[in-house]
Amino acid sequence: MATNPQTKSKPAPRPDAAEADAGFAPMVLARLGHGARAGEIDRFRAAGYSTWLDEQLAPPPGDDPAVAAKLARLTFRIKYNEGKDKAWPAVDELRPLGTLGQPIEAVWPMLAERDKHDGQERRRPLMEVMVATVVRAADARYQLREVLAGFWHDHFNVDAWDQEQVMAALPTYDRDVIRAHALGNFRAFLEAVASSTAMLYYLSNKSSRAGSANENFGRELFELHTLGADAYLNDKYDRWREVPGALKGQPTGYIDQDVYESARAFTGWTVEDGTGLDGRRKLPNTGKFAYVETWHDGYQKRVLATEFDAFQPAMADGRKVLDLVAYHPATARHLAHKLVVRLAGENASAALVAQAVAVWTKQAHAPDQIAQVVRAIVSSPEFKASREVKVRRPLALVAGFARATDLDLTPTEPLLNGIANAGQRLYGYAPPTGLPDRRDILLGTNAMRQRWQLVLALAENAWGTGVIQPARLMGPAATTPRAAAAFWLSALTGAYDPMQIEALVSGLGWPPDVPLPPGQPNTQKQLARIAGLAAMAPGFQTC
Amino acid sequence: MLSDSRFKASLLSRRTILGGGIAGVAAGLLPVPGLRNLAFAGPGPDRPLLIVVHLRGGCDGLNLISPASDPDFIEARASELRVAVDGPDAGHALANGPDAKVDFRLHAQAGGMAELYQGGQLAFLHAVGLTDGTRSHFVATDMIERGVADAASLNRLNDGWLSRALAVDGPPRGLVAASASGAVSGELAGLPSAIAVPSLDGGLAPPGGPQAAEVLKRLYAFTAGDVGVAGRDALGAMATIDGRLPRDAQGHIQGYQAEAHVDYGPAAEFGRPLKALAQLIKMDVGLQAATVDIGGWDTHEYQPGRFRAAVDHLSNGLAQFWNDMARYHDRMVLVTLTEFGRRLRSNKSQGTDHGRAGVMAVLGGKVRGGRFYGAWPGMAPDKLDEGVDLAVATDYRRVLTEVLEMREGRRLPAIFPAYAYPGPLGLFGALPTKA
Repeated sequence: MATNPQTKSKPAPRPDAAEADAGFAPMVLARLGHGARAGEIDRFRAAGYSTWLDEQLAPPPGDDPAVAAKLARLTFRIKYNEGKDKAWPAVDELRPLGTLGQPIEAVWPMLAERDKHDGQERRRPLMEVMVATVVRAADARYQLREVLAGFWHDHFNVDAWDQEQVMAALPTYDRDVIRAHALGNFRAFLEAVASSTAMLYYLSNKSSRAGSANENFGRELFELHTLGADAYLNDKYDRWREVPGALKGQPTGYIDQDVYESARAFTGWTVEDGTGLDGRRKLPNTGKFAYVETWHDGYQKRVLATEFDAFQPAMADGRKVLDLVAYHPATARHLAHKLVVRLAGENASAALVAQAVAVWTKQAHAPDQIAQVVRAIVSSPEFKASREVKVRRPLALVAGFARATDLDLTPTEPLLNGIANAGQRLYGYAPPTGLPDRRDILLGTNAMRQRWQLVLALAENAWGTGVIQPARLMGPAATTPRAAAAFWLSALTGAYDPMQIEALVSGLGWPPDVPLPPGQPNTQKQLARIAGLAAMAPGFQTC
Repeated sequence: MLSDSRFKASLLSRRTILGGGIAGVAAGLLPVPGLRNLAFAGPGPDRPLLIVVHLRGGCDGLNLISPASDPDFIEARASELRVAVDGPDAGHALANGPDAKVDFRLHAQAGGMAELYQGGQLAFLHAVGLTDGTRSHFVATDMIERGVADAASLNRLNDGWLSRALAVDGPPRGLVAASASGAVSGELAGLPSAIAVPSLDGGLAPPGGPQAAEVLKRLYAFTAGDVGVAGRDALGAMATIDGRLPRDAQGHIQGYQAEAHVDYGPAAEFGRPLKALAQLIKMDVGLQAATVDIGGWDTHEYQPGRFRAAVDHLSNGLAQFWNDMARYHDRMVLVTLTEFGRRLRSNKSQGTDHGRAGVMAVLGGKVRGGRFYGAWPGMAPDKLDEGVDLAVATDYRRVLTEVLEMREGRRLPAIFPAYAYPGPLGLFGALPTKA
């Protein structure tokens, strides 16, 4: 796709034709957020895209006041039986989200006291982060940050369901690693990830030792976090000089030996878990990052055709690897491509990826590198003209429905299960790829059935998530099934489609043009069902 | 390549298989517990049924079946990552190993698999895998699912090998393939009718009752693109399956009842999809192929306990599923796959990193089991791949080709493009005894 060099960084002086298209505002609000609230499309158009984008790309740290207040107010059920020999009492209560703001050392001691607490207590930090994720997706003012936090949670995936240590580490991983860097600098982000308790456990670097290092983190650092599998040139295996560019110190890709050597570089990056270091010393047991010099393989190394001298200062080997991979051209291509796919779809052009690569590379040291790359992608004519290129993920379906119906969403365990059943178990995707960003995996028979279940259960409050108030948006006057179908299909899909309206009302089997008496409980039920059925329509599945 | 006489021999054997299949059909008409109300027999009930079990994460074949007496192996590996030959953790001795001089031992926790092997239904292949040297989970998985052996082909071929096999005579009709998981597995990519069924508990009707089903049908009737197709496919498949689930007098779906003495409980998380799959197969909707996943094999650290649990679930799952599928044994071939084996030398986290060759198992009523197939390259340092991993002696595509050609009773050159099939290993006894 041809690009116009004149458009770079200058605000458009006159209304942009692509932005004036009726489908543009609903698309942006659904794809760079989770969908429009009532009246939001008008506000968006009045303010203009660039103003909206400026605000979204530079959010103040932390939650906006409304979300912070809601998270402080919300409770989430915790329930378990009495422990064996009355080791702990039975609990069934609606408890505030107490672990979200805590440092890891406040949560960590629970892990050592297995005989004093039910497993539900150890799972609690995970559940609370899941609850917060749903609330933020639905309610956060800075919606684009939520979209990108989701992107980076996939990119730097950890499976918190598998290990209690990762459960305990999830609040700080989400808050201090993912959210803190989601619009920031990739190199800084990478080091925060590499030294995070969640990743050190998930990819087992925490137990890696000099002598025979654990390759798990090193492998995924290259393959998934940075250069990408396209740069894996393993037909060269150990013939590093044969990798193009290697003899000039600029290898175009990596080989298994780079993985082995970087695994050595990260030995000693571990977690304070109480392990003995020698006869006299042991690590504290806090869950915080630790560097243990005696576990580090200090001898010389070669990574990406770059020599590492022996016995460098603490963590210098690992940091040097992070420099090499973070600034590698293949990393720019890999990350730019992933961001383009997330924002502009699987069939976006190579030219758009190239534009993103250019910004990524030029801004490699900028504190807002990622925000600048995102801005470049979403300011492109290609992005602006794209429609329906993404299938909403289950979390986005939930948030989008809540936003469109003005539902004050209360996340419950059945809702979290519903999102998981539809194919998005939050913080519980086992392979380190994270949930793949592909349409087809969201569109299988089981996935479709669960997607329909999800929105219908929300509309009818089957899972205790809150009652929608259709009359609040539709007005107090009497309405007919046909008018209600038209209202909800338009609100949810951002488009007026007479054929879909006819399909919905004819399938309902209720007299389409007979007014439903206002204020009646049955009317409220019928309107909620129409809203739920409208959200099951094809038009709400994509954005 | 397969010689003419060998090919005729395999055709001959195919007729024998069909003979067995007819007995299977007769058996299929007998009442099945829990399926009494089932008044439907799907198309082609004698079609062979291929089940692919994925050991996701890269199963350490050397810890599943150890060359336990090999001095090079003993030298390279910590004892807790080898199968023992004596003591309380002694593994199951396997007759007919790939090298008569070596004592091959199956993991102690694999009692169910040992019985199937000794009973002659289960065969093993060791030192099997991808000829490409990738040690990446995702590249290896992609290659195996799509049935290729080089990274360049991944960009050319987007469908799965199982999809190609099922479409060999044109696009298959009806519910011929399923993944017993939340999403369709990569082998079935490109087969629009393939469905994902993680569970049949509670039925498979659209949510919201008949009214919602009617609305959905109309909303999706004319929608173009993949979402419209997905909606229509889902509604069709759900109606087909849900309509055949056994119901009580009040219309409530009856829970699945496995065959007597079958208990999926010891298979833990692996038991649930196997149970759903057994239930789906017994509905006789015409299923010809299915995939199931079992995870827990990416044992970079603390392998002894994690591996023991994974083997326990695998072995119990296969044994219980086999017993539950008693009426289908003659039609059924089950193949296990994993993306790679693991490093010969263990790391200091009591684990193993990504390696090369691994183990495959082939289970079925027509399988000439109780023995190994394929060569054993050995553990001597000069026999290892790059000096570090068990070398690949048998291409995984050879095993799959043999299984698929047995299924079709003819040559199938197009399933694995650019693969020069060297002929069957004799997994189904189709090879004439050597003259």
